[in-house]
Amino acid sequence: MSASAAMRQERERWEAQRRWARAGFAYLLLILFSLLFLGPLLFAALSSVKTDPLGYPPTLLSPQLAPANWAAAAKLGREGAKAPLWGGFAPGANVNVELTYFIPQGTEAAAPTATVPRRRPGGGLGAVQQIDYAADYAVVAPVVEVGRRAGVHGADAQAGEFVTYRVTVTYPGAGPKVDRLPLDVESASRAIEFVSSTLPPTRLERLGLVASFQAVTPGALGYLLGNYRRVFTEARSVTTGDSLFMRWTWNTFVYAFFRVVVTLFIATTAGYALARLRFPGRNLMFLLVLFAQMVPMQVLFISNYLVLRDGIWGLSSLWGQATLLNSLPGLLFVTALNAGPVFIMKQFFESIPREVEESAMMDGASYWSRFSRVVLPMARPALGALIILSFQGAWNDFFWPLVVLTTPEDIKTLPIGLLTFRNVYGNSGDWGLILAGAILSALPVIVLFIVFQRYFMEGVTYGGGKE
Amino acid sequence: MRARGREFLPALMFLLPFLLVLAVFFVYAGVRAVYFSFTDYDLFNAPQWVGLANYRALFSDDRFLTALRNSLLFAAIVTTFQTIGALLSASAVNRRVRGMTFFRSAFYMPAVTSSVVITLIFLWLFQRLGGINYLIAAVSRNAPIILTFVIVMVLAQGLQVLVERWRLRRRLRGAGQQRTVSLLDPALLAVALVAAIIVTTALALLGYLAPREVQNVAINWLQTRQEVPASFPFWLRVPLPLAAIMFQNIFTTIPTYMLMFLAAMQDVPRSQYEAAALDGANSVQQFFYVTVPALQPVTFLVVTLGLIGTLQMFDQVAIFGSSVPLQSVITLAYFVYNRMFPGAQLPEVGFASAAAMFLALLTLIIVTLQRTVLRAEGER
Amino acid sequence: MRRLVTALLATLFAFSWANAQTIVRVQGYGGQDPAIVQRLIDEVIGKGLADQGITIKYEPIETDYNTVLVNSLSAGTAGDVFYVPGEVAPGFIATGKLLPLEGLVDTSAFIDTLNAVFTQDGHVYGIAKDFNTLAVFYNKDMFDAAGADYPNADDDWTSFEAKLTKVAALKPDTYGACIAADTARLGAFAFANGWTTFTADGGADITSPAFADAFDFYSGLVTKGIAVQPADVGAGWPGDCLAREQAAVAIEGAWILGFLRDNAPNLQYGASFLPKSPKTGESGNFIYTVAWAINADTKVQDAAVKVLDALTSPEAQQFILEQGLAIPSRKALSDNDYFKQDTAEAQANKIVFEGASHGNVYGFQFGKVGTDYMSPINNALTAVMTGASDSAAALKQAQTDLNALLTR
Repeated sequence: MSASAAMRQERERWEAQRRWARAGFAYLLLILFSLLFLGPLLFAALSSVKTDPLGYPPTLLSPQLAPANWAAAAKLGREGAKAPLWGGFAPGANVNVELTYFIPQGTEAAAPTATVPRRRPGGGLGAVQQIDYAADYAVVAPVVEVGRRAGVHGADAQAGEFVTYRVTVTYPGAGPKVDRLPLDVESASRAIEFVSSTLPPTRLERLGLVASFQAVTPGALGYLLGNYRRVFTEARSVTTGDSLFMRWTWNTFVYAFFRVVVTLFIATTAGYALARLRFPGRNLMFLLVLFAQMVPMQVLFISNYLVLRDGIWGLSSLWGQATLLNSLPGLLFVTALNAGPVFIMKQFFESIPREVEESAMMDGASYWSRFSRVVLPMARPALGALIILSFQGAWNDFFWPLVVLTTPEDIKTLPIGLLTFRNVYGNSGDWGLILAGAILSALPVIVLFIVFQRYFMEGVTYGGGKE
Repeated sequence: MRARGREFLPALMFLLPFLLVLAVFFVYAGVRAVYFSFTDYDLFNAPQWVGLANYRALFSDDRFLTALRNSLLFAAIVTTFQTIGALLSASAVNRRVRGMTFFRSAFYMPAVTSSVVITLIFLWLFQRLGGINYLIAAVSRNAPIILTFVIVMVLAQGLQVLVERWRLRRRLRGAGQQRTVSLLDPALLAVALVAAIIVTTALALLGYLAPREVQNVAINWLQTRQEVPASFPFWLRVPLPLAAIMFQNIFTTIPTYMLMFLAAMQDVPRSQYEAAALDGANSVQQFFYVTVPALQPVTFLVVTLGLIGTLQMFDQVAIFGSSVPLQSVITLAYFVYNRMFPGAQLPEVGFASAAAMFLALLTLIIVTLQRTVLRAEGER
Repeated sequence: MRRLVTALLATLFAFSWANAQTIVRVQGYGGQDPAIVQRLIDEVIGKGLADQGITIKYEPIETDYNTVLVNSLSAGTAGDVFYVPGEVAPGFIATGKLLPLEGLVDTSAFIDTLNAVFTQDGHVYGIAKDFNTLAVFYNKDMFDAAGADYPNADDDWTSFEAKLTKVAALKPDTYGACIAADTARLGAFAFANGWTTFTADGGADITSPAFADAFDFYSGLVTKGIAVQPADVGAGWPGDCLAREQAAVAIEGAWILGFLRDNAPNLQYGASFLPKSPKTGESGNFIYTVAWAINADTKVQDAAVKVLDALTSPEAQQFILEQGLAIPSRKALSDNDYFKQDTAEAQANKIVFEGASHGNVYGFQFGKVGTDYMSPINNALTAVMTGASDSAAALKQAQTDLNALLTR
């Protein structure tokens, strides 16, 4: 083997090493950046299952994510309503909860007392609905001791005994199925310390004296997705009793659907005229389009708001609406002013070779049939991107829905509905429900994104991303 | 000329829907806003002509001046950081590796969700006992460990590069080959990384290295009127809650702009880099002499979009709402809205319109200025 | 597919179909209110009205109530009967959209000071639906654990602060009190010193010793570490800190009771009068009130008057009182058996009720500037409580801002 061959071999090895290392670092960086950008979203998603996402220090995991607790919740759900998944409290229930307390040496052992309180699910919107209270049907059997072992506890390794008690709640006779069985267990004295229970309590109250359970028979899914369930069940319309979140989702869907239709119609017709037809004032029009893209909505909203308020000079009374405020048609009218898509379609139509169209014109086709039969079918990819992006834009739209849809709650769209959640639940620090609502409302666009990624990426390169 | 006349009617028909919308919701709205800006109007009593009084009142109104200051700072700081941040992260991840599409999607995912969702999440993170403060506390608590790790890694890398360069020079002497070891040589960096992990872990296990005792960081990001840096004059001070919104905005816009940069970067011909490398340019020099000039058009677009977007900032102010003092986050766009719907008193439509006119003018001036400046820069 | 399209179109045009029945639209606050008002309508007044052919359509407003009301009044979409908060009443009366009620409603049955809040130029524009004052709500367990006496009617600021100091020393993360940088609380302490919101010439004086002294006491609770601001412990408002046992005292009105019942059902709490000023030996208080008013443009005026009568009837007010929402505004309900009950809630309501005649008490109202009056003072409080400024400088700045506001 010659020296130069050895050299070459050595060099190849050197380069291979570096290729591997470079690829390794590339992936490391890519993963780090993904985590960085996705971090807040992922962290919020993980925390949205917590009872109190404001608990300090914040943790990635919570009791809700522990499989052991799912098993316990499923067992309790089965005992409560033969429903291991979603739980509840139904006639024939026989719920057994075990709680372990530490009784220091020298303290007299005494059983805790258990009660089923009459407790409404959270404050605010949730309190509107008339619900059955578990307290009216539950019978709490006397608390019994089921186990006892000596041991040490706490940082100072205090000696004493761990005593386990069983609380049994039954539902004798007939009655309705109740969604939640709340339970309060109060220890006999402050010296006796709560250690653990079948299912961790929602919180400890009165300086640790009371272990309080929001729902002691949640079922596995009810335990894991409690906040998500509350998003749907708690906020209800006062007039119809429907789930507000469902209504908001439906409204947003309707709004986005019609927004796509309106945008497609306006952007293709206007884009075509601007790209293909020559007429006096064309440059002025184009300048207006550019200008309309730049001016902040807030500049124009004063007059636009008043125009909607008066139903576009009384036009809307033709179909029985005195005002276009608080209505979806009003929202559609005012958001029809959207120059971005017109601009994009104009660019696209300009990229279609004129000859294709001209050959169609020789048959003496009208402008409309040239547009609808020849140009539009060719524009399918651009239309796809436009549909997806304007759907996403409408789904996330904030300003105009905020201004137009104020009352009642039933007509709102998801983004401003979430603002209602913030106002109602943020005050009492109930962030679990807010985060769950936020994640849920983002799911449709995230799914859309995953399915139609190509269009989104095209949108980005078109410039802007959001329309 | 003939074609023009013949196409006028069809053009009008095609444009009609858009023209109607444009006429009512843009032209008419603009004209009416101009008119309102010269009147005193509260929605209930007929508008009274007051001439320039509203405009004069604007510049003696504290809240308006604060809004103006906040908007300008917000636009300047956010646009700067998001552009630089996007450019840097784009060049960091601009690798031709398999699975890039997946990562690009991951970066972009947060940007497809609504501003409400992201803002609510950040509002939660910025709570006094929230994630951001915890992160700051964790970093400051573990500063000794992090610092040790970084120092060991830098030392190890430096040492290796020196040794390798010396060895190469000896081995290649007279062999007619040109090879050098970059400061960021990936293979050596991998060794340095492993070394740093081992040393730091060992020191920590042996008890020489422990987290510092640090009190919980409890920066009040939201309910505060504090402005930083406190010693700066009014026009350069950033209210803390606004800083929180800035952080959020930079963070959530970087992925979008980064993808725009990435798309453009992948179009830069490889030969340009190779030529620069032959001239002996290292990777930092390549970045400045090849990448940055090639990205000029995209940078232009990103800055324009950034300026327009930041000058319109409204959503976050509305969503932060009562959890921050209005003075600390109010922007021009929100000022207009707030005067139109003041809540505790009757609407000041004229005043709001004057502010709206000002905002429109400001946007135009800044965007035009930016275009001329950047264009001149490009031609130099 | 056709079903879907029909549903899409139906949603698009929903809420635009007029209804032929006599429907009276009633609007009010969101938050805690809807639960109880809905029950009031369903259980107490709904049947009587239905017999007269009137149906109530109740629309609580979850976002900023005043803004929504102004907008809907101007758009002509406001309800027929709605809340008008006392602090913004002058502004709403100026719109000319409130119906003068004399001759339509017997106003003499309601407490005079409450009527006065909604009276302008001899016309009454709203019937106070209830009222509230401030009281000291305290967590008995925390005072017991700290070995401190409960706050009581004899406390002055000094003895009150001493008790809170003891409780604050109990655990590192708990505080004696939870107070916000809010003029709607601080004002009550300034009243105790003899201060008033407006001087005789219509200005405001917040650099006077009477105000500055109260300001120092109130903000001092936070700067000395005895009290905490709600946001600093991740709470939304002081009632929230009390419910989470982060602080032993919150200074609030009877609206806290429903919140505690829902959010801290096991809390052992008591209520007491606000402490007295050591200088004057008096305590001070705000009266908060909200009225039911009728839309001047209503098309169903007769029915609206009947609904207003029902909403402010003795039965309705008794029900609201027993739900722990607020105190009745009818003179005849002052001597109420409910106040004699031995529950924590009834006792607290009694304190809030008596607070109206305890020391220097003024309505929560700031002329035409409305609640904007409070923002310079709130800013000063925040600045001092966060240590960003000293009280003299902060008050001086606030005085300048306030003067500018009042002369605009």
